Amino acid sequence: MSAHPASGRPGSGFVSTAAWACYLFLLIPSLVVVPISFGNPDQIEFPPRQFSLDLYRAFFNDPSWWGSMVQSLVVAALTTLLTLVLGVPAAYALARSRLPGRQLLRGLFMMPLLVPVIVLGLGLYLQFSGWGLLDTTVGLLVAHIMMATPFVMVSVMSGLHHADAALETVASIMGASRPTIFFRVVLPQLRTAIAVGAMFAFLTSLDEVVVAYFLTGTSTMTLPVKMYSSIRWELTPVLAAVSSLLTLLSLLIALGIIALQRKAEAKA
Amino acid sequence: MLAILIYPLGLTIWTSVHPGTFSLQAYAELSSSTLFLKVLRSTLEITLTGTLVSLLVGYPVALHLAAQPPSRRTAYLIMVMLPFWTSILVKSFALVAVFGNQGIVNQALGFLSDGRISVPMIFNRVGVVLGMINFLLPFMILSILGSLLSQDRTLALAAATMGAGPLRIFWKITLPLSMPGVVAGVLINVTLSIGMYVTPALLGGRQDMMVANLVDFYTRQTLDWTAASATAVVLLAISSILVVLLGRVRGGGLSGASA
Repeated sequence: MSAHPASGRPGSGFVSTAAWACYLFLLIPSLVVVPISFGNPDQIEFPPRQFSLDLYRAFFNDPSWWGSMVQSLVVAALTTLLTLVLGVPAAYALARSRLPGRQLLRGLFMMPLLVPVIVLGLGLYLQFSGWGLLDTTVGLLVAHIMMATPFVMVSVMSGLHHADAALETVASIMGASRPTIFFRVVLPQLRTAIAVGAMFAFLTSLDEVVVAYFLTGTSTMTLPVKMYSSIRWELTPVLAAVSSLLTLLSLLIALGIIALQRKAEAKA
Repeated sequence: MLAILIYPLGLTIWTSVHPGTFSLQAYAELSSSTLFLKVLRSTLEITLTGTLVSLLVGYPVALHLAAQPPSRRTAYLIMVMLPFWTSILVKSFALVAVFGNQGIVNQALGFLSDGRISVPMIFNRVGVVLGMINFLLPFMILSILGSLLSQDRTLALAAATMGAGPLRIFWKITLPLSMPGVVAGVLINVTLSIGMYVTPALLGGRQDMMVANLVDFYTRQTLDWTAASATAVVLLAISSILVVLLGRVRGGGLSGASA
């Protein structure tokens, strides 16, 4: 699996040319957005003819941008926390118990991942409009926790797959109570899986636009929704600054996940 | 605790099949609505084009990645993972900046041709498909890469020892063995793109409305929640079928994101 495949691959010249063209195409967003963000504050210009931080200044001085970013970060952080609190014990229960209908439950938890977001968005919109939860942070949180749960579950369940169930049996024979077993034996083994799940949950919430677009109004608008309407209606260069900040965050999280997964592989 | 998660989920599905009172009239109206049929048609066209291009472009990339030694593969993988994690809005904005009417490509074309040539590449079908591919490619690549890496390398070596040329090895061994990854990648792509909302809204023109945009249109513009729900249910049905197919192919294991 790790061996270097035959160098005489069919048209290896063609393959690597095509591959590099594709890498370039995939990286266009990140490659273009960063220079624009340091350039002309009045119009989108590439390559930029001047260097300035004006766009970042504009971003942080405009409460409608800055406020929506704070809103997004708060919602993403709360979503991550609550999804972990709900999702980790749930994953543990599903993985270890002999509960009848556990397959069905697992399927239900995974559903938000498989249902098209627009369908979720519409369903929640109709439901929340009756409950008075439209344009509230609570409503958005409920929606995002639902959408982030599958990621935490998948990550934690695969972590549990590698964790040693015998340790739990031993602890229980030696008289440890169930909460003790969960917190002192199970959780420490799941640290990496939980960290990966948390990052997925955070990004899911931070990036989510369609459901947020349905559920939020002017007072609860998140950054993606603000970006969406800005791309649609005004296309201001400030978008480049926002995009650069988000790309940096994505890069950090992607590197974090790759590092954690390698660590997990090395241990396995 | 489980109830907190399942209740809204159940209600979501319930609401979408039961808008007020139960009736099938909305579906009858949809099936004779020219708007709906037109949108459905362009959704299918865009989905198929996007997936096909993504397969043709993604396969060589997966081959390229599989051929790298592990340490370098990780470095290259970042180039695939970063876009995978990049917000779709960042991508949409960047694609408008690059391919838009005042975008980088057209500025360059205009400069080279004294302002005579300008190619509209966005707010039309090309724009949607470009945006779609940019979004879909990482999923396709990771899926194919998974099945390329799990192949038994000695098979190709044995074939080479026995005198098979590289092209023959590819057609007879590598490609057939990677089919599960290809099929999974295609299904993931189709599932993702059929419910796409942001890309057609931001990069497409009026002719490129997709089913998800139609749901939004019914909900907000015409306030026809019944039609919106019926459209959503049609979309849900199509993607459920795709998900079931996907489950068959994958047999539960191998997640694209963990590759």
